[in-house]
Amino acid sequence: MARRVTRRQLLAHAGRGAGLLGAGGAVAYLARKAGAADVWQIDPTKCIDIRLGATGVPVCESCATTCVLPLSAVRAVNDYAKCGRCCICPAYYDVTSEVGPDGLPTLKLCPRDAIRRTPIGKVDPSDPLNNFYEYVIDELLCNGCGRCVMNCKEPAGLGSIRLEVRHNLCLNCNRCTISEACPEIAYIRKPARRTGGSGAPT
Amino acid sequence: MGGRGFRPEQFTESLRGVCVDRAGLVYAAGDSEVKVFDAQGRLVRRWKTEKPGYCVALSDHKTVHVGQAGQVQQHDEDGKLLATLRDGERLGLVTSVGLSGEHVLLADATHRCIRRYDKDGKLLNDIGVDNNTRGFLIPNGHLDFALDGKGVIHAANPGKYRIERYTPAGELLGHFGRFGARNVEDFPGCCNPTNVALTAQGLVVVTEKAPARAKTYDAGGKLLAFIGPEAFDQNCKNMDVAVDSRGRLYIVDTARLQIDVFALDESAPASGPTAATKRIP
Repeated sequence: MARRVTRRQLLAHAGRGAGLLGAGGAVAYLARKAGAADVWQIDPTKCIDIRLGATGVPVCESCATTCVLPLSAVRAVNDYAKCGRCCICPAYYDVTSEVGPDGLPTLKLCPRDAIRRTPIGKVDPSDPLNNFYEYVIDELLCNGCGRCVMNCKEPAGLGSIRLEVRHNLCLNCNRCTISEACPEIAYIRKPARRTGGSGAPT
Repeated sequence: MGGRGFRPEQFTESLRGVCVDRAGLVYAAGDSEVKVFDAQGRLVRRWKTEKPGYCVALSDHKTVHVGQAGQVQQHDEDGKLLATLRDGERLGLVTSVGLSGEHVLLADATHRCIRRYDKDGKLLNDIGVDNNTRGFLIPNGHLDFALDGKGVIHAANPGKYRIERYTPAGELLGHFGRFGARNVEDFPGCCNPTNVALTAQGLVVVTEKAPARAKTYDAGGKLLAFIGPEAFDQNCKNMDVAVDSRGRLYIVDTARLQIDVFALDESAPASGPTAATKRIP
């Protein structure tokens, strides 16, 4: 025999259901906000400074010049596992500049002098070519102009330097000015949880 | 000859090594094959190798040596496998092979040295390790050398911007070359020259990357001839080079996966580094 439900009971059930649905949606929204937000990333297969095959083209400095921050959230990073520790690094030196009496180029490439070059291991002071060198990028000075990235790229270099978005600096603007200026559509939003490897947010 | 594609005479992924025999047959190591071409670029024969080949060399007895990761495979001229040289973990990636009398010299790019073995495969000595960097400076990951008629080793040391000459015992006899991007006779970039070959007259032929180009020097390091970057895809690196008995240059375009043939241009000015080479169709 069917149980009779009063209007008051029906309204109470409907109210509880709506409350549960609302609470579930809020939890889902907060979870997405907390752990799985979209972040801005550089696609290395599109960025003209990074991607292989783009040789003999001018460097793109959009990341450095269009970010709303005083110093761009994009910085150059050296992957030491790939770095050749060359004596004359084309990302450190302007290899087209005049050669000095020590046999090394006289000018540096980085306009902000953000790369530090240090001989490592047992150092032969008499012959610069007889040593290995470590190249460290000062993140406080780097503005992500990409010149070192372009010049380290294969085949000129080993491609050990790349551009990365620093997520502790990036404001994650909804309308990113770098993305709007990027000529290669390489500056894109991606879910943080699906971004692995070199571009993983910190 | 060659080229990128799927036809039998073409290469699909890689072309890395080239050598020429006295009859003018061209041996090319690419993908996991050796392909043999005649002087007109027609495929004569081909055979598989166990691993991708990084270099190819011929002995006086027409034994074909193919350098690979951790080993060298020896084939007869028809491609029949005769033997495989291995040396455990001591032998890394073999990017150049030289044959001098009873000795086999292998460029070990993993360990940045040239290893000299006797005919039984016993290691005699390592060459190029007696320096502060404990080996050749090859950020490009490729070590190349050539042997002259006296057994002297002419090795490219790209991180030092030099061609170095060594005795078989490993003594450095001398070197030429210096860094520079403004004069064509200098070696530019992070690491050049990458590859080297010798003509019968003792001239030194080198190839470079970024920009991809080739040059010929006399034994003292004076630039004689020059093939400009317009001749190659500019994404090339580690372009192997061989010289035939007529002095023609066979250069591997590692991006287009083809072998380009050049000869000295007799009509070019005879003096100075403007003396050029021309491509043979």
